[in-house]
Parts: sequence; structure tokens; C-alpha cells
Amino acid sequence: MIESITGGYLTSEVAGIILVLIGLYGLMTKSNLVKQVLAINVISTGVVLYFTKLGYVEGGTAPLIPSEVMVDPLPATLMLTALVIDVAITSFALALIMRMEGSP
Amino acid sequence: MIPLLVALPLLFAFLTLLLNAFRVRDGLRRALFVLGILSPWPIFAASISQLPVSTVVGGWERISGIEVALNDYNYYFVLGELIVFSLVGLYSVGYFGAERTAGHPERDFTSPYIFSLLLLLHGGILGAFVSSDLFNFYVYMELASLSSIVLVACSREPGSRRAAYRYLMLYLLSSFFFIFAIGIIYVKTGYLNLHLIQQNLVPSQEVHMAVALMAVSLMTKAGIFPLHFWLPGAHSKADTPVSAVLSGIVVKVPLYGMILLLSYLHLEFMKNPLLVIAFSSMFFGIAMALLQDDAKKLLAYHTVSQMGFVLLGVATLDVDAAIFYAFAHALFKSGLFLGVGVLVSAQNTKSLDLLSYRGDKMVMAAIIFLSLAIGGISPFIGAFCKQQLLSNLHGFGVYLFYMAGVGTLVSFIKLNYKVLQPTKEALSLPALEKIIAAALAALTLIFGIYFYPQLDHRDIILILLAVALFFALRHVGLFRRQIPRFFEPTVRDLGREINLYTGVYVLVNLAVLFQLLY
Repeated sequence: MIESITGGYLTSEVAGIILVLIGLYGLMTKSNLVKQVLAINVISTGVVLYFTKLGYVEGGTAPLIPSEVMVDPLPATLMLTALVIDVAITSFALALIMRMEGSP
Repeated sequence: MIPLLVALPLLFAFLTLLLNAFRVRDGLRRALFVLGILSPWPIFAASISQLPVSTVVGGWERISGIEVALNDYNYYFVLGELIVFSLVGLYSVGYFGAERTAGHPERDFTSPYIFSLLLLLHGGILGAFVSSDLFNFYVYMELASLSSIVLVACSREPGSRRAAYRYLMLYLLSSFFFIFAIGIIYVKTGYLNLHLIQQNLVPSQEVHMAVALMAVSLMTKAGIFPLHFWLPGAHSKADTPVSAVLSGIVVKVPLYGMILLLSYLHLEFMKNPLLVIAFSSMFFGIAMALLQDDAKKLLAYHTVSQMGFVLLGVATLDVDAAIFYAFAHALFKSGLFLGVGVLVSAQNTKSLDLLSYRGDKMVMAAIIFLSLAIGGISPFIGAFCKQQLLSNLHGFGVYLFYMAGVGTLVSFIKLNYKVLQPTKEALSLPALEKIIAAALAALTLIFGIYFYPQLDHRDIILILLAVALFFALRHVGLFRRQIPRFFEPTVRDLGREINLYTGVYVLVNLAVLFQLLY
């Protein structure tokens, strides 16, 4: 469906890069700190989408059971690590913003 | 063996936190902390006899496992890290005890976590230094930077949280670009292991783009002009031991990444932009340091300048020069932060007009020694590194390099001149902290004599030139000049600052990428 609208140009890689650019726009124009943290999260989502597409093989299955065509599991595992780091950082950034009001 | 180098500090970090939950006596926790800081030494000592060593964690094949190594590239990084961290660890045992609980024991909720965070930082830095795998390097760099950001935020100094936020945002932004570039390298070569990448790499426009993105990200994390915004605030607002580690070691992690890029991937195509950035960072740092009145901020701006010197080694494609300069800088900059920090906590001010080391010969000698070391005067360690850097330069570059050296000396003559003023009351400085600062000063001299045992008569001319220039600048009134403030210290302006810095980051990226097209 989406393929037919965009003529096949909008792959997930391109979508990921567009998300990164949207996040950069947010970071460059919004002076609200919470919005900046959200913008950073948009960038991270874009990077994750980009990586997930890297390992994808047309018609591949999950690499749990040996089969003919399998997707590359490595990018997905890397992103698992990156996502964990993201969650921790987001919570830390929000806590920092909360503590910043008024105090040093 | 080498994985233990990283695992032991991380284990002790966990144990320190666990003991904290069980409300164990403070002394035991501190003992555990010191043990954790010192724990990598035996492993390091056992491995150095058989250099270079490399193992794949868990005994896997190189293709599927994570490789760690101790070789010519990271030997001095690991050695410098261990020396600085051991001394800073001992320093912080006294510092966080006395400083934090004075008068307000009930408010002291952060210092148990600080020990744990310092150990996490220790493990993270060592992990980044020993890994031969791009993604693993990224993860450990993340661990090290995150712990240092939290440590900056823990400081009691006003403005420390804003500095931590600035640091966090800039660092996250560059992290995502770094990992994006890792993805491109992975698509192009199919590996993350640096040796395998080197064997399978076919230079192409995409690979160059990825390397350029990585280089800009790493320069942001290393605080190199024009991407240095977060550095002066974070390094000057942190507690003294944390500042020493941040300036001494944490900024070396991304620079080690640059050295990896230079030695395993190709960086030759970026030689000219890197040279420009290195020289501009050197001069910008010195110019800003000359205008500072805050002692720790002066040292922080010198970190910007000195990172330019290390980058100069990378830009002239001389790995050894970069490695030795990074090692030397780790010793003298952490020493300077600790030495000045002793005065700052005793006199409770950071203003250069009020600080004084008169009356304490040990701190005086330490700061003078370290100033000579950072100025590159023989026989201190800086002289050896400057010789190495100079051997790659010719023509105009040599003059610029000497100018930067004289500029550094002028700035440190200013520091020493101001701190030399007599005090009103007698100084009583804690003995252990003084000895640690003096030990780092002695190490710069010992390593200097070990590497380069000769005296250079041209140094006297440089010192005389710097003294003359200092008095000329003082006569002109440069040191009384105030730097105009572009941003107010409010939350709203903090947001605007981040907008601006992101814009500069994007511009630098675009400039470097456009340069690739031609």
C-alpha cells in the first residue's frame, strides 16, 4: 500500500534518516528542555529504524530455526543495547530537568 | 586475562552500591572503593611482559566474538588511566569525606553513589581503551561518559546541573551520529571487529562519509573547538577529583577512538580539515584561558587547547606523537586540577585574585612544575611530546606551533603570578591531597627524563619571551577585560544554548562532508 504511494523510494532506511532530520530540527528550534529530550528520542528512533533495515533480508525469517533465508540478527542486537542506553539516558535527562528548576 | 581489567572495577562498583543498601559502615565502603580502583594493576602488570596480547571474550572465533587487546596503541592510554585514577581515587577518599559531610551529615545522600560512579567510570574507560571492536568501544565510551555526566550533576557548585545537561545533550547527539556511522561501516564491510574491517575495507565515498561523521562525533566528545561548548562548564563545575579525571582521562577516550580510526580505517583524506581544526582549537583555548578569572575554568579552556595538540598528532598522521601527548596531558592536567583544587577547597573560592599558594612550598612547587610541564619545557614530559609533534611540521606550521607553546606559557605565568600573592591567614592544607598533587608533578619530571633526557637551551628563550609577553598584555589591561555573556543562567536560555550548539554541530558535519566531495 505505502509502497504504491511512494513509488518504492521510501524504504525504512530513508524513513530512519528522515526521522533523524526531524529530531535535529526539533533540537535546533525548540528551547523547551523537555521538547529537546523528546527530539533526542526521535533521533534515536530514526537510528534504530535505520539499523533494523540494515539486517533485513527480503523474505527472511527470524534466525532461531535454521532455514534457507535468515535476517541478520546482529544489527537488531546492537539496537537492543542502544535502546537500553536510551531509556536510561532519557530518565536521567528528565530527572535532571526536574532538579534544575530553582536549585543550582 | 584482559577482560578482568574491566570486570573487576565494575564488580567493585556493584559491591559498593550493594554495601550502601545494607548500610554498612563508611570505612568498609571506602576500603572497598580503594580496592576497586587499584584492582586492575595486578592484571596489567601480569600482561605487560607479553605485549601485544589479544583475546576474544568467551573463547569464540574472531568473526563472532568481541576482541579485547593490549598493544602498542593503547598501552600508554591504559597506563596513564591507571596512574591517574589510582591517585585521584586516593584523593577522593579524603575529599568526599570531609567536604561533603561538613556540617550537614543528613544532606550527604550523594557521596555513597559517587564512589560507585567513579568505579563505573574507571571500568568504562578501561573497557573503551582495550576493546578492538567498534560497537564495544561505543558501549564503553557511553558508560564512561554517562557516569561522568552524573558525576558532574552531583556537584554542589551552582550551575553544575546546567553544565551536566549541556554535556548530556551534546554527547547524546554525537553518540547517535557515531552509531549511525558504525552502521554504514557494517554495511560496507560486514564486520565490527577492527582487524576484520581493515582487511575487508574497500575505500569508497560512503566509507569516507562514515569516517568523517565518526571523526566529528569524536571531536565533539573530546571537546575540540568549535564543538567544545560543554567542556569548560562541565570541567570547572565538577568536584575537584571529578574534574581531574574528566580533563585527564575521559576526554582521551574519544581521542583514542580517533587513533583507532587513523590506524584501522583511513583518515588521510581528512588531513587538511583536521589540521585546521587542531590549530584553531589550540589558539582558541589559549585565548579564552587568558581572559578567565576562574582558576578551574582557565584549566578547562587549556584542555580545549591541549586536545588540539593531541589532534595535531592525529592530523599529521603520527600515531605515536598523539599517544604520547595524550599520556603526558593525562598526567599534568590532572595534577594541575588536583593542585589548584587543594587551594580551592582550602580557601573556598575559585577566583584567581583571591587564591594563593604562598606559604605552602609543596603545592607551590607542584603547580610550578606542572605549569612548566604543560608549557613543554625540558626536561619535563611535555618537551618530549612537543619534539615529536614538531618533527612532522614544516614551514608555517612550525611558527604556529611555537606561538601556541608561548601562549600556553603566558597563560600559566598568569596563573602562577596571580596565585603567588600573599595570603591574609595561614594556609592549612590536607597533607594527603598535597602529596598526591606533588606526586603527579614528580611523575611528569620522571617520565620526561625517562623519555627525553636532555635540556633544550631554546626553552629559556621561550620562557623569557612568554614573561615579556605576559607583562605586555598585563600592561595593556587584557587580564582585566570581562568576557561578554551571551546567555543568562536561566533554564530558558539553556534551551537556546542547546539550539545554537546543535546548529554548530550540524554545520561542522556539513562542512566536513562537503569537503569530501572535492
